[in-house]
Amino acid sequence: MSLAYFLRRLGAVLAVLCIVSVAVFAITTILPGNAALMILGENASAENLAAMERQLGLDQPVLVQYLHWVGGVLHGDFGTSLRLQLPVAQIVGEAFWNSMALAAIALVGVTVIAIPLGTFAALKRGTIWDLGIGLISYVGTALPEFVTATLLLVFFADPVRQLLPAGGFVAPAEDFGGFIKHAILPSATLGLILMAHISRQVRSELSEVLTSDYVRAARLKGVPEGRVIRRHALPNSLAPAVAVISLDIGYLLGGIIVVEEIFAWPGLGRLLIYALQNRDLPVIQAVTLLLAVVYAITNLIADLIIAKLDPRVRYA
Amino acid sequence: MGSRIRTDRGKPQSEAPVLDVRHYSMAYDTEAGTTTALDDVSLMIWRGETHALVGESGSGKSTLAWAITRYMAENARDTGGAILLSGEDMIGKGRAELEALRGRRIAMVYQDPSSSLNPTMRLGEQLTEVLIRHRGMTKTEAWVEGEAALARTGIVKPAEMMMRYPHECSGGEKQRVVIATAFACNPELIIFDEPTTALDILTANQILDLFIRLREETGVAALYITHDLGLVARIASKVSVIHKGKIVEQGDLETVFGAPEHPYTRKLLAALPRPEDRLALPAPTEDTPLFEARDVGVQYNAPGWLTRLLDKSAAAHWGARNITLDVRPGELLGIVGESGSGKSTIAKAATGLNPFEGEIRFVGRSFASRDAFDRKYRRDVQIIFQHPDSSLNPRETIGGILSRPLKLYKLCPAGEVRQRVRELLEMVLLPADYASRYPHQLSGGEKQRVAIARAFAAEPRLVICDEITAALDVSVQAAVARLLVDLQKRSGAACIFITHDLNLIRQLAHRIVVFQRGALVDAFDVADAGSPERHPYTQALLNAVPVPHRPEDQPDLMEPQA
Amino acid sequence: MRKILKSPTGIIGVILLTIVLFATVFGPWIAPYDPQAFDARARLQGPSMAHWLGTDQYGRDLLSRILSGAPSTVAFGLGATILGVGVGSVIGVIAGVAGGRTDSIIMRILDGMLAMPELLFTLLIVTFLGGGTTQAMLAVAVTFTPGMARIARSAVLSVRTREYVLAAQARGESRAWIVGREVLPNALGPIIVEATIRVSFAIMIGATLGFLGLGAQPPSTEWGLMVAEARQFMFRNPWCVAVPGLAIAITALGFNLFGDALRDAFDPKRGH
Repeated sequence: MSLAYFLRRLGAVLAVLCIVSVAVFAITTILPGNAALMILGENASAENLAAMERQLGLDQPVLVQYLHWVGGVLHGDFGTSLRLQLPVAQIVGEAFWNSMALAAIALVGVTVIAIPLGTFAALKRGTIWDLGIGLISYVGTALPEFVTATLLLVFFADPVRQLLPAGGFVAPAEDFGGFIKHAILPSATLGLILMAHISRQVRSELSEVLTSDYVRAARLKGVPEGRVIRRHALPNSLAPAVAVISLDIGYLLGGIIVVEEIFAWPGLGRLLIYALQNRDLPVIQAVTLLLAVVYAITNLIADLIIAKLDPRVRYA
Repeated sequence: MGSRIRTDRGKPQSEAPVLDVRHYSMAYDTEAGTTTALDDVSLMIWRGETHALVGESGSGKSTLAWAITRYMAENARDTGGAILLSGEDMIGKGRAELEALRGRRIAMVYQDPSSSLNPTMRLGEQLTEVLIRHRGMTKTEAWVEGEAALARTGIVKPAEMMMRYPHECSGGEKQRVVIATAFACNPELIIFDEPTTALDILTANQILDLFIRLREETGVAALYITHDLGLVARIASKVSVIHKGKIVEQGDLETVFGAPEHPYTRKLLAALPRPEDRLALPAPTEDTPLFEARDVGVQYNAPGWLTRLLDKSAAAHWGARNITLDVRPGELLGIVGESGSGKSTIAKAATGLNPFEGEIRFVGRSFASRDAFDRKYRRDVQIIFQHPDSSLNPRETIGGILSRPLKLYKLCPAGEVRQRVRELLEMVLLPADYASRYPHQLSGGEKQRVAIARAFAAEPRLVICDEITAALDVSVQAAVARLLVDLQKRSGAACIFITHDLNLIRQLAHRIVVFQRGALVDAFDVADAGSPERHPYTQALLNAVPVPHRPEDQPDLMEPQA
Repeated sequence: MRKILKSPTGIIGVILLTIVLFATVFGPWIAPYDPQAFDARARLQGPSMAHWLGTDQYGRDLLSRILSGAPSTVAFGLGATILGVGVGSVIGVIAGVAGGRTDSIIMRILDGMLAMPELLFTLLIVTFLGGGTTQAMLAVAVTFTPGMARIARSAVLSVRTREYVLAAQARGESRAWIVGREVLPNALGPIIVEATIRVSFAIMIGATLGFLGLGAQPPSTEWGLMVAEARQFMFRNPWCVAVPGLAIAITALGFNLFGDALRDAFDPKRGH
């Protein structure tokens, strides 16, 4: 891996984050309904509004507001929640790790299942197995999280049988088993769409690689079929699959919002919905920016993995 | 040149043939029923012998190769005959048997080394794989042996090459690795599937020399698949000509080339470009140039300010530089060179597709940049591209395509456009009712005719042909070349013909210029091609391509250039 | 079209889409009951002869509610997609045709927009526009724009270097003619395919917004909203969440399968 490649990718990530910070700030500032109005409600008097705007710094030019905000963020200061009157960093901190734990469980689960599944489908291409896996994954991609979640609840969390908890959260430090139990349904919900998508991607990449000239050449060298797939075909089909997985993480981070809300998982998503309902601007900004940062960093990691898998990328 | 002496003649034929294909037939099951791909094919190859299998695209030549190695599509079906490798029938062998045999007893060299090598594996691993698998070596032993094998193929730093990935090597280096892999286990038979087609002339020549040397050293039997008759005479002693899945002619090289019996063989031989069969019109008498390029240069990828800041040595890449050439009215100027030599770059600059530096002059008018090209210039200078498949808009009818220049340059009244389109189609020997067809309903050669008609529809004074025959089969190539000269005669247009086919250009051109790495290195009259004053690079190019002789000239079919 | 019907997935996609479109056009007419009619005696029932798909917590007929909700759900998906694809394609085509600095500036901005997870972006916009179907549709359209612009741009770029476009340039054709006659007709394929697949995403996001209370408002029969309203009762009558949930899935699946079959039909590598 060349350092230059890494630095270039890192630079691109930073550039994107700058644009994201502007976009987040712009959406929360320029769109109708400013924070003072949100806090005081429609019926507030003009003086109260003006006072509140001064208190929030909304009378300053937009650029000053932005720089002030970014400056704070760089020091880990995301401002104060308008609703809870607590530092945003404090509220967001714990929720962040809870969300990441959920996302990580879902992602690992998905990857472990989806890649072998896609490989299997590609190897059995055209058979009933392939068609079956294909149809299941199509259905998987057509179910929105809230439907999957609701259906899973009906099956696994009905009050009579109580196989799994219907929602809530237990800190892993307190009771790891309980934590896992509570995480199963939300992560399964998150995972279903991704699993469908990733296995389909692996299948299509692998079936294309299996018809490539170099796989044919390997077979005609007498390389045993197992090694042809493991050593020749898979590495070439995984790089594009990883690219798709990294894009899917955006989907995962969106799904987290809905899933946390349904399963009462105290993470960023739930916090965001709360903040959106209460127009708690600093919290909205912080959560949005954090999710974008996570997305950017996972994309960077994915790029590095791709560069590891495919030597051509390192010089591109 | 020692490499031109054939050494595989007159082998004793008492022993059994290495490859014995007996009345073999194969068919594909398709929705529309069964289509026969190979029909009653027989051929034998003995140890140390090279057998050439010649055919045009779609003739079934590659299909036969896959059938021999038993690497066949699921809907392929053997419908008769036998394929014997040293007496053992290949048909009916199980997967394990085939895996044990492939790479050890039969090996293969492919057309395009950049797609037949795995892009994510080091070359060393791809080479040693067969040694570990078939010769039971350990990794370390295989690595040592692999380096030796690479050294035998003429690679200068084998140890370094072993550590590289395919994208870090040139086409020639990659093909050497593929060849080293094929020879690694001393197989009985190697199938060469157009191993030089994807390479440049000089590289291809070196690869052929390498093939001939390794064949002598190892005594391997070789099936050499090619569409290039000119090449056959240099490497093979036996020839089979395949057409539509059938072998139409088979025999010793001398017999097949000297006294071809089948009409198809005769057609193929007749289509071979021979420099002494001049197609060109009489050389123009006028000396005032029609088109002049003076000190023209084209720059690619000028680095951005950030790159320049970080890397002081960053500089633009010159696609072509300091090019000065001229074309006289009615003349055909050939431009030859290998890929990347800048010949297409200049064609694009002259037609306003590349920004350029320097000056282009056309009938007394001078243009300093591509923005200065006006409609009149663009009408007078037309270009035809290489790929018939992509040079016509797939969503437009042939009639629509041909009427465009007529309307754009207002060459005929609206009411007469249809009639003119019919004339244009007839001019390029296509039926007039093709006007209502779409490009995908035409063959490659027909599409190229339409592209030619479109260029001549503008009634231009200069036509630039950028490798227009390169993607076509031999027999189609010859017809297209004749058509071009015929149109030139009728219209009086001058022509710049860009090609890498030296024999063809010597038939067509009045003068030839040679490009090498973006520079013009040589310019001469066709008659002076053999002169010792030629630039060494020109001589190397000419030497790399043997001139095919007429069937009557028996004794040595491929005479090296003087 | 014949190519689409050749693959099993294509056939299933066409069948599902036909059902969905039929329900969209005729749904409100063929619904057996008034979708808003309460029936206190028949609350939360499973499927029966009287109510084929059962009833909800107010005794409303689920089949009738699904049928009457079909037009708004599908129209939402189509509307959001057409808007997003339209604007996105225009931006993408401009970037692809203009090239150079214009292109790189547009692409940088799009990259920034794409760096936010899709649903998050939609939620932000919807919150600030205020809830409601129109606002939700606009939000989804805005979310789709950058992705579509990217796809349109790469479609244009891949066509722009084809030899027939070069030939038109060399001939001295006007830029408008080249874009309109040579580039666009050939770049349209991938854009249409992507648009078809996106309809299913739009329907899913729309339903999700309805579910979160940010899209359609009660007493609308939008399917996502139906799931949200029935959630409290899901253990007593799973049908009232399963039916609208599956309706969403079938619609999304139909567009998805059809889009994929369309892609295969456009792809010369897979066609014959």
